[in-house]
Amino acid sequence: MSTLAVAKKDFQDALRSRALWGLSVLFILLSLFIAYAFAEFTTEMGIEEQTAEGLAYFLASQIGLFVSVTAIVIAYKAIAGERESGSIKILLSLPHTRRDVLLGKVLGRSATLAVPTLIGLAAGAALGSVLMGEFAVVALGALLAMSLLFVVTYISIVVGLSALTGSTSRASMLTIGYFLVFEFLWGAVSFGVVWLMNGFSLPSEMPNWVFLVNQVPPSAAFTTGLTALMPGDIPAATDPDFQAFYATPWLGLVILAFWLVVPLAIGYWRFSKADI
Amino acid sequence: MPAAPEPRGMVAIDLTDVTKTYGGVTALQGVDLTVESGEVFGFLGPNGAGKSTTIDILLDHARPTAGQARVLGMDAQSETVAVRERTGVLPERFGPLGEMTGRQHVEFTIEAKDANDDPDAIMERTGIAHAADRPASGYSKGMTQRLMLGMALVDDPDLLILDEPTTGLDPNGARQMREIVHEEADRGATVFFSSHILEQVEAVCDRVGILDQGTLVAVDSIDGLREAAGTTGEMAVTLDAIPEGLIADIEAIDGVSSARTDGDSVIAGCENPAKGEVVRVTQQAGATVENIETSEASLEDLFAAYTGGA
Repeated sequence: MSTLAVAKKDFQDALRSRALWGLSVLFILLSLFIAYAFAEFTTEMGIEEQTAEGLAYFLASQIGLFVSVTAIVIAYKAIAGERESGSIKILLSLPHTRRDVLLGKVLGRSATLAVPTLIGLAAGAALGSVLMGEFAVVALGALLAMSLLFVVTYISIVVGLSALTGSTSRASMLTIGYFLVFEFLWGAVSFGVVWLMNGFSLPSEMPNWVFLVNQVPPSAAFTTGLTALMPGDIPAATDPDFQAFYATPWLGLVILAFWLVVPLAIGYWRFSKADI
Repeated sequence: MPAAPEPRGMVAIDLTDVTKTYGGVTALQGVDLTVESGEVFGFLGPNGAGKSTTIDILLDHARPTAGQARVLGMDAQSETVAVRERTGVLPERFGPLGEMTGRQHVEFTIEAKDANDDPDAIMERTGIAHAADRPASGYSKGMTQRLMLGMALVDDPDLLILDEPTTGLDPNGARQMREIVHEEADRGATVFFSSHILEQVEAVCDRVGILDQGTLVAVDSIDGLREAAGTTGEMAVTLDAIPEGLIADIEAIDGVSSARTDGDSVIAGCENPAKGEVVRVTQQAGATVENIETSEASLEDLFAAYTGGA
């Protein structure tokens, strides 16, 4: 109840962000463009078969970047900014717990980001389906559901990081640092891990477990998890082709669940003990 | 889960040996303080004395390094939400308000406290009914303060904590603030009113505590403070000319703590009974007294008297 009240206020406040609207318009236009390109220029792009599932994957390709960048823009100050300005004293002078405030922020900002994400995807899906004359409810439904989970996860990570500090400059360093390491540079990190495990040299063939390492970034986990939910047998580029307990696209969902819970739990642990 | 109403005559705020250090800096040092239920208590101190830290501890915004804080009979650190359900707060140095309108802010508070107040009546009472439908982010400092006071009044709290409430208010606003404090006290609420301005506190408070550099140096009624400190401030005697040796003569009077000249005036810091003697000595020295002004002890004088920093 208290969490929802905080979330509602947070949602109303966050909707005023100009950066959010700019990025959202960009994303919606991009989705429409992608849908149009997929429906009209399939052959030119070397895609053999034009299916609604293919459209869903195509639309999903832009989600990782849009959601991660926008989540950082709209949520890095969620807790740190309110502590720095003192606004949090207004919320915490009322009968809200710090947990209410933290979860309320996650819900409020998730809703803020979910609106443009889902509108963009739905618009792209509608345009593509109309142009192709084929409407795949399950595939597009899976895309929307997975995207929603991804939005909540990313916001949860950023709010968790924001709860570690009372300074917005430190919060921006933490969130941008997270993005650099876990999204932008993860390929290099992955190589580094293999190099380290192989005794400071690169093997001629990558070991199977590198699949596991490569799923660590939330956006990679999102793409992999999406293939688990997708109907049909479209072999995705990320599908593992070996046998191991982790060689399943469901791994993506497990990793997203990790990111959904762990950073926020650490953030809560620090925030609950902090002097504000 | 509403807590049981507290019987009158109980203690509203009870601090026992509360110490708070930030890093190596001591913000509060062994503070013991009891505020009775129904009392209007003035919490005085210069900026940086530790007033806001004390209030932070009462509201669990900060945790004491040592000691215990109880509010309305509950532990401030472990029964936080129950404390806040029965407490109305006007915080100091709160950040900018959100994009919601003034009325929505009051409604947000009413919802959080599970109360059934009328938001318009509250805004009428604190004098911002005319701005109820505007986004609070565009309010002036004074209007923001009035809105925050309104939010503090929601649900007729048993305890009102007002941290520097007159900040940004014009004299009329400060007067309305005092009226509301009186009304709330008449209703039976305890009011904890922090300020660095003696006059603000003097006008509304039953008792006053003085905090200086993290230490509670005095708790008394304002009159009691004056008496105990033995200082009633300054008197300025304007003369046609200042005779030689007058300052030394005045300084020699029993009860005068200081004397200096300022243009054609002699400024003496002294106790009340000595004031007549100051005038008599001045006339004896052959000067014509053109004007006499006296002022009561300022907060600074009281601090000086209590902290030995005169």
